[in-house]
Amino acid sequence: MAGTLCARLNKLSSFSGITVPARKVAALSAYDVQHKHPFAKKVTPIPKAKYGGRHAVTMLPGGGIGPELMGYVKEVFRYGGVPVDFETVQIDPKSDSNEDLEYAITSIRRNGVAIKGNIETKSLDTDVISRNVALRNELDLFVNVVHCQSCPGIKARQKDIDIIIIRQNTEGEYAMLEHESVHGVVESMKVVTEENSERLARYAFDYCRLHGRKKVTTVHKANIMKLSDGLFLEVSKRVAKEYPDIQHDAMIIDNTCMQLVANPHQFDVMLTTNLYGSIVSNVICGLLGGAGLLSGRNYGDHYAVFEPGTRNTGTAIAGKNIANPIAMLNASVDMLEHLGHDSHAEVIRTAINKTISEDHIHTPDLGGQATSIDVVQNIIKHVQALSKKCQIVAPPHLMSRHDTT
Amino acid sequence: MAHLTRAIPNIFLKVPLNTTVTGVLKRTLSCSPTLSIQAPVSRPENHTKCTLIPGDGVGPELVHCVLEVFKAAQVPVEFETFFLSEVNQAMSAPLEEVEESINRNGICLKGVLATPDYSHTGELETLNMKLRRNLDLYANVVHVKSLPGVKLRHQNIDCVIIREMTEGEYSALEHESVKGVVECLKIVTKRKSQRIAKFAFDYATKNNRKKVTAVHKANIMKLGDGLFLNSCKEIAKLYPKIEFEQIIVDNCTMQIVSNPQQFDVMVTPNLYGNILDNLSSGLVGGAGVVAGASYSSECVVFEPGARHTYAEAVGKNVANPTAMLLASAKMLSHINLQYYGDLIRNAVNRVLKAGKVRTKDLGGQATTQEYIFAIISNLR
Repeated sequence: MAGTLCARLNKLSSFSGITVPARKVAALSAYDVQHKHPFAKKVTPIPKAKYGGRHAVTMLPGGGIGPELMGYVKEVFRYGGVPVDFETVQIDPKSDSNEDLEYAITSIRRNGVAIKGNIETKSLDTDVISRNVALRNELDLFVNVVHCQSCPGIKARQKDIDIIIIRQNTEGEYAMLEHESVHGVVESMKVVTEENSERLARYAFDYCRLHGRKKVTTVHKANIMKLSDGLFLEVSKRVAKEYPDIQHDAMIIDNTCMQLVANPHQFDVMLTTNLYGSIVSNVICGLLGGAGLLSGRNYGDHYAVFEPGTRNTGTAIAGKNIANPIAMLNASVDMLEHLGHDSHAEVIRTAINKTISEDHIHTPDLGGQATSIDVVQNIIKHVQALSKKCQIVAPPHLMSRHDTT
Repeated sequence: MAHLTRAIPNIFLKVPLNTTVTGVLKRTLSCSPTLSIQAPVSRPENHTKCTLIPGDGVGPELVHCVLEVFKAAQVPVEFETFFLSEVNQAMSAPLEEVEESINRNGICLKGVLATPDYSHTGELETLNMKLRRNLDLYANVVHVKSLPGVKLRHQNIDCVIIREMTEGEYSALEHESVKGVVECLKIVTKRKSQRIAKFAFDYATKNNRKKVTAVHKANIMKLGDGLFLNSCKEIAKLYPKIEFEQIIVDNCTMQIVSNPQQFDVMVTPNLYGNILDNLSSGLVGGAGVVAGASYSSECVVFEPGARHTYAEAVGKNVANPTAMLLASAKMLSHINLQYYGDLIRNAVNRVLKAGKVRTKDLGGQATTQEYIFAIISNLR
């Protein structure tokens, strides 16, 4: 009897001993895909995709209005003579496999930089993870920066807002760890790590120094989530001590929302966890004139992805020629600045600003009557005029490179 | 719209019925840049600056041809000319000045520089190699493509040879260790091998190519070429949609002369690339018709694909300027002047297709001058 039990135990242990690693290798669960390494990822450097001054950039049009907006970006780039080549990768929203997504991620790894719309995940299968989140987690794009700035010429509820939102982008509530422990009881995990919080806080304070900002406000809910948000807050306080020249305070998320709609001018740079950042950026975008204006930047240690600031697909207005192209064009300008094509970026940014503020050509979401194409054509008109005037100069590193070597 | 249809060269519209459309031709039909020409391309009023190195031999004559065509097509490009030469050192501009100009402009059009077989100064590095090393022009791209209407042994060749240009056999590290024994070092590094492999795959991705072939001799040089091959394999994993193949260089040369249509993009170390460039240029009409370009991450030098100075033809008005013209067309596409690039390319194709005006190397009787006039009258 004892012998059989022993044998059975042995069998069991050997069985489990084999199957556990085998399962890990064979089928990656959503958890594995998202969190193979919860901390900063080590990446072997791949040579940059820049040849003869031209950059290759991955373009993920995504769903809804994404493809039309990308068409406008290409058109404006063509007229501006921008030395960027796009590698377009389509992701099938209905597909149940993650093949397209993996290819998109590989493509961004190769090129280092991407511009994207919002990618839809229509599959109802719980194994198919949200592609936007997977992309950010896989590329370790731990920071999302949205620069919320009022545009003169747009009727909005608040004037002269200038707030930077720096949002944790890979963990927190978006860890996608949910399960039904008992029937009728679902648990969702919120993950906060010290390493990621610290990286983010450092990014925020460095950003302040670099751009001459004065104050960082940490947005949290540490009075309720004492451990998770508590850690985030504690880390930001600790990092703040290393930057005595920058003011630091903290505010609870519910109060923050109230303060934002009542008196947004008190904020400078906001440092937030994942979900709060999403809420705060949507609130401010609402105050400024909606989803069609602002651009967002996602940075990791190795890659950068540019997209519209609020991540809306805009399926309802797709193909109607009324979508506001400004957000995606602003994202493309951010991208050009990141790549170092400053003079091209300047030309396109000026053209956008002139169209909004001087010519007042607005799409319906801003209360105007113009179609998307009207807006784009007007921008192109300005781009042509501006690039005639200014000599496109080579980026400064080109000039200095010769001296250093 | 009328503009759009006009821009499509005749060759793509009239495929003879009795010839089977091969895979290569299909690809030309589907992704030819001429088909995607968009009518209202912006024409910037400010002139783009470009460095110009006429080179030795017939170089100055060919550059003159390019200037004539540019003038006729009203291309908004300004040239900064530098006479750079190794065989004629007294007249040569200082290398630093030329480099500074290329760095500033980002683009350069260059003829062929003659290199003496014996170094008079004892220096092992030629002027060409110095220029490449200082500007880090690591990737040489030669697009070998059959010309319309030129009847040769092989038709429908369309392959791209991408060659590493800064290391390998061209490291200029040679010494005589014992009298009568000379050692020449061939350097292969992982970083540069990966860089050229990635260049090749990115080129393939950008130009809708399907296959990349690594050319090597790893069965003999197991460590050096082995490293090159392994680096290519590693980078190939990042490109699941592009087929990766490898071939040994001696077999490759045989395959190219017997069945060149099987190749798409080839990535090679330095010396093999040089040989393959010349070999395959020979298959499509010789050194006078194949354009090439050398890339660093910041700048590009456009030049003929097979480098021969053709010094014996100087002043005889017989050299073929096609290579130089196609290189300049490539340059225009690179700086977003696609419209002018296509204009010149289509004019060259039309003249060759008609077959009435050809230089001697393509079996014609025309002089360089007549050929250029024909091209200029076909700019439309």
